[in-house]
Amino acid sequence: MQQLKANLIEHIKTSFKDARVQDYPDENRLDFYVNKQCIPSILTYAKDRLGYIHLSHIAIVDWLEEGEFELIYIIWSPEEKIKMFVRTRLDRENPVIANIDMIWRQANTYEREFREMYGIQFQGLEAPEEFILEDWNGPPPMRRDFDTEAYANETFFHRPGREDALDVREEIIKRSREEIPEFAKKYSR
Amino acid sequence: MINDKNSQKIVDIIQNWSRKHSIWVLAYGTGCGAIEIPPTMTSRYDAERLGVRGAATPRQADVLLITGYLTTKTLKRVIRVYEQMQDPKYVIGFGSCTINGGMYYDSYNTIKVLDKYLPVDVYINGCMPRPESVLAGFGKLQELIGDGKANGADKYKENLDWYRANQKKIIPNWVMPEYNW
Repeated sequence: MQQLKANLIEHIKTSFKDARVQDYPDENRLDFYVNKQCIPSILTYAKDRLGYIHLSHIAIVDWLEEGEFELIYIIWSPEEKIKMFVRTRLDRENPVIANIDMIWRQANTYEREFREMYGIQFQGLEAPEEFILEDWNGPPPMRRDFDTEAYANETFFHRPGREDALDVREEIIKRSREEIPEFAKKYSR
Repeated sequence: MINDKNSQKIVDIIQNWSRKHSIWVLAYGTGCGAIEIPPTMTSRYDAERLGVRGAATPRQADVLLITGYLTTKTLKRVIRVYEQMQDPKYVIGFGSCTINGGMYYDSYNTIKVLDKYLPVDVYINGCMPRPESVLAGFGKLQELIGDGKANGADKYKENLDWYRANQKKIIPNWVMPEYNW
């Protein structure tokens, strides 16, 4: 396994010199971090030359504090049985990246979801504008700075609470006479 | 026949008695509570002995079961279905999401209080209610029909402007016709 991973690192490093690697010695997993311009070429290279023919998943992480989105492409090789994670970072103010649905057809669905839920532009993506949300004209809802509770309070009616409502946690404590730990106290009213 | 109050009362009693013992439920599961309908209909908690069976189309149904949360996308279709049903018709709200939003009280997509958009006759609380609760809910609906008090449909017709205003507030692309009765 280590030998296969070392071969893979060498293959990638010869063609893509500024790819950064992170190795996980106990698992069959390797992480590569590349610039976003290299994404179509590194994925095509892995698919055609190295046998990584299966796109398992495309994941996204919203790093709000650093102001970036991180896209992770997870690809798998059935012969070597190694998962390769290819990571890039996009700027959060203007997230643009090339689309890869000519390499794997299923990336079309993933990219439509990201375009609707996070607002990422994929250059060359041809798909209808609406995906899941209908008549939605607010900000992209899955971003971390979209406050869904405030939006829900302002758009929908709420039923007012009961005047004699008791707190469930405190009632149970009173009846069973036990102490709740410190980390759970912040969930009581 | 003499058309006075006493014979009208007798006709009402017979009519309500026969309506309450044959309630046809539209086979439309709007939310996650629809998973409690098959156990209620099958042989352990048999609902067919009360006369409750499934109906295929809205024109043949009596009761619309709103089982669980309603997103705005589904609400647009449910209003259309409700207005296609013919009198007498009832609405049962299942679960805590129809009462006050339930688990999805802070979601950007679901409606919180069903009563502002459709007239509800009976609420069944729980998340999800067990089949015994569902049968108790149907029993309560039968009681209301027997007394002649299950008139959500009349309430909808009289206050149509108010219901429409609430519905149009959250559904931007309105596709239903405008009625003028």
